[in-house]
Amino acid sequence: MAGVGFRRWAQALSRGKGSGLSALLPGCRAASGGSKADLPSSYPLTPEAKAAAAKKYNMRVEDYKPYPNQGEGYGDYPKLPDKSQQERDPWYQWDHPDLRRNWGEPMHWNFDMFTRNRVDTSPSSMSWSSMCKTMFGFIGFMMFMFYVGEQFPSYQPVAPKQYPYNNLYLENGGDPEKAPEEVVNYKI
Amino acid sequence: MADYKEAPLASRPKTLDPNEYFNLSLEYRRAEEQRSAMRSNLKLQYQTQLNNPHRKALIEDPALNRWMYARSHTYPHFKATFKTSLTGLLFSVVPIIGFYYLFKTDRDKKEADIKAGKCDRRFALSS
Repeated sequence: MAGVGFRRWAQALSRGKGSGLSALLPGCRAASGGSKADLPSSYPLTPEAKAAAAKKYNMRVEDYKPYPNQGEGYGDYPKLPDKSQQERDPWYQWDHPDLRRNWGEPMHWNFDMFTRNRVDTSPSSMSWSSMCKTMFGFIGFMMFMFYVGEQFPSYQPVAPKQYPYNNLYLENGGDPEKAPEEVVNYKI
Repeated sequence: MADYKEAPLASRPKTLDPNEYFNLSLEYRRAEEQRSAMRSNLKLQYQTQLNNPHRKALIEDPALNRWMYARSHTYPHFKATFKTSLTGLLFSVVPIIGFYYLFKTDRDKKEADIKAGKCDRRFALSS
């Protein structure tokens, strides 16, 4: 029994194309799981390709818009609006509530950037221009003021320490017999 | 409700958008119905798999698989245009060469200063 199987396998091997390990493996796959047609492919050039791509991504043909074909590597992946997950309705019963996403929904290209822990596109109370002006204005002003402070330093005047007893002549090992030179550290 | 204002850091919810209720065109309604139908179909598929008592494996999300595949297989769709070449230059070649040049000149200058004895290194442990 095993001998028959081995002979047939050897015959198929000698007859078949391919080399190396791929020649030893059976030339068939299981039908379960997704197919190659389900995966993203290159930019759709014809309207039929666009319709097929929209169907593949579970979108309406009118909603489906691929990225412009500029060779940046997007292929036929849809261009979804740049809205973060934080902007989505918190009260709707999402399939994955932490991600605010339903199963099977097309994911944004930068989905991992738009999660609720990361970039948030929710509207802000100040406009972008006023935020930029406030921040860069403050930073620029502080840098300018520190530069001015460097050019015009202002501190308490200091001088070397003055010691009494003729600059501590005896403590510094001066001869007690000899008269030290008079040091006057003041001026009246 | 007519003068509803959004919460300061939130966008207006879809259910409170006046365009959902007034001045609706047939096309808009049809579009919304189609979208809702797709969504319901996906929800049905998901719930069937989720509530299947004999299911032992995790529920595979084809949209997630497509996203992962698209993100990792960008090379076949890459074309060397002016824009992409410029991006590649600016983000990979220029920083390497620029930083090499900056660091080299700075350190050479410091080395020359040390050799000439102009650097005060009394308390410097690392440089």
